[in-house]
Amino acid sequence: MVTDKLKAVVPYATLLAGAAFLYHETGRFAYAAKPGELGPGVWPKAILLLLIAVCVYEIVRRTLFVRRAPKCVAATETLAADAADPAPEAPPADAARHPYRLLAGITLTVLYVLVLDTLGFFLATALYLALFMVVGRYRRAGVIAATSVVGSLAFVFVFMKVVYVSLPLGTGPFQAVSVWILGLLGIR
Amino acid sequence: MFDVLHQLALGFHHLLSVENAAALVVGLIVGMLVAVLPGLTLVMGVVLALPFTYGMDVTPLIVLLTAMYLSGTYGGAFTSILFRIPGEPLDVPLLWDGYTMARNGRPAQALGWTLLAALWGGLITAVSAVALAVPFAKFALRFDAPEYFAIVLFGLTGAVALGSGSVTNALVSLCIGLLLATVGVDPTYGADRFSFGVPMLTDGVEYLTVMVGAYGLGEVLARMGQGFATTPVDGGGKIETSLPRWRETWRFKATVARSSVIGVLCGIVPGAGATVGSFIAYGVEVQHGKRRAQMGSGIPEGIIAPQIASTATVGGHMVPLLALGIPGSGATAVILGAFLLHGVQPGPQILQNEAGMVYTIFASMFAAVIGMCLLGYFAIKPLVRVLRLPEAVTSAFVALFCFVGAYSARNSVTDLWMIVIFGVVGYLFEKYRFPIAPMVLGCILGPVAETSFMTSMIAYQNDWTIFFTRPISGTVMVLILLALAVPCVSRLRANHRARRATAVEAGGG
Repeated sequence: MVTDKLKAVVPYATLLAGAAFLYHETGRFAYAAKPGELGPGVWPKAILLLLIAVCVYEIVRRTLFVRRAPKCVAATETLAADAADPAPEAPPADAARHPYRLLAGITLTVLYVLVLDTLGFFLATALYLALFMVVGRYRRAGVIAATSVVGSLAFVFVFMKVVYVSLPLGTGPFQAVSVWILGLLGIR
Repeated sequence: MFDVLHQLALGFHHLLSVENAAALVVGLIVGMLVAVLPGLTLVMGVVLALPFTYGMDVTPLIVLLTAMYLSGTYGGAFTSILFRIPGEPLDVPLLWDGYTMARNGRPAQALGWTLLAALWGGLITAVSAVALAVPFAKFALRFDAPEYFAIVLFGLTGAVALGSGSVTNALVSLCIGLLLATVGVDPTYGADRFSFGVPMLTDGVEYLTVMVGAYGLGEVLARMGQGFATTPVDGGGKIETSLPRWRETWRFKATVARSSVIGVLCGIVPGAGATVGSFIAYGVEVQHGKRRAQMGSGIPEGIIAPQIASTATVGGHMVPLLALGIPGSGATAVILGAFLLHGVQPGPQILQNEAGMVYTIFASMFAAVIGMCLLGYFAIKPLVRVLRLPEAVTSAFVALFCFVGAYSARNSVTDLWMIVIFGVVGYLFEKYRFPIAPMVLGCILGPVAETSFMTSMIAYQNDWTIFFTRPISGTVMVLILLALAVPCVSRLRANHRARRATAVEAGGG
């Protein structure tokens, strides 16, 4: 029960701490102050005060007043709330039934951005697509290889030949591969 | 009146250009595909289409996105009715009578009623957009900074108060969006805010990266966390549409009238949107329909009401977007973003300065309605085949679209990092049930709100009561207070009823 309540208030407590820190930062904006001016901090301060108030309200409510997930307490009191978004107090459980898979997906995505400039768009993308499908529990090797290579080639062709976006070519030997691919697709 | 019709005729003429017509057709097909695929939402589809449009003129671009938006409100009906898979939340009410009718051995009739409802809802939405745009814009010409601030605040409040789910979570989401919009150099004083010396933050946070990251990558990560659990469906079976007869249709004139009004109103009110409209229209039929006792058993009213309402919201959303520059939904926020990317600021002047473009967009709505119905009648079978694609494969490409989309805007790897950050934020929002739309709206409308607020303060010697004492802004501020109070009162009443029911159960048991 206590753990559930703690879990329920963690997001609001984190936001509250962040908002308090940013509120403190608003007093340090450097500008040439003149008498009678509101200054650049007034707008963010107003937003942060609202955020702090909402977080405090939710923390107090969830700690002291919420006993269990009600059947239906929707803002608009319509059927829409039921279908589009479950009760707000419902535990945030099913968002990650596969936390390691999710972590692998996020790591893969971060690595993709890290190596993009080095490997170039084609190689990095083909690898990313293939590994993403593997992490996503897709196991047909032929389809994975074909879709990742053909998909990457299609992206290179459409964006560099049709939309004229300059995608990263990579460095060293990887650049040579990218240039060869571009030549193959008739892109100069 | 004649001037409007003349402009509309010119709009149809402009629509015949190859670029506009091609944008319309592509938009219709892509919108249908996006709506059919359960892994892709309508807003996500519109966001992912953006990178392909940087080189386009603004008119075909908006024609493309509007066509996607319109056909997206119809495409999901097929999977709801035939496979019990709602492509979008707005298609959920179609499960109750549409799927039941199909299960009762009349799938072709269910699709026929859906097509007719989408056609009627679409025509109503296009007519209402044309009829309401000029009065809205004329009214908006009287606005000064306090009125603009009040109207923008109304748009933001609507997104909070009328969205589904928790009001407080929506407020948190909105605050985060508004704060993101303050990062970088302040427009009034030139002060550096919340950049902490990080060059990536000094330029501010691009709303495009927030939209693409939170909607696109965030959804992909959330689905990955669920293990891509959607099973591919064999959509290759017999799919036919059988249109009802005129005499049958006439019997439902009251349902059609009610749902049309609900749809247009839900479109105009910021934050309500297609999903809320669809559910309200179904709920009204359940309460007031002639055959309310039979709702849920597979009767046409249960298909007509939600489908008309959801399609009819599109025009309602386009009116405040074009005439006031205020988007009322996620999809129109993206369309506003597309306008701004091309240096066009929607608002009351747009009908005077860019009348050709506006009426071409309106004309495209009429054409899109006809086009989507033809597509639904003749070409839905191949479109539904995309359901065979495994979710891991489509999600991999959606993630890639997000990256290429963000990279194409400025050729900057920094934007890719932003996508990753907002992808994780979007995932956390999904996990903790914070809605994403208020954050995106806050991010786009934040600078407008701040500028009009600061301008008002400078012009009226820091007198904040000015927002309440001027007639238009005062009225809007009262509406804002009502918009926030009504859901709170509804919640208190619902809680009170739940407590009473629990007490009665405890007493009885």
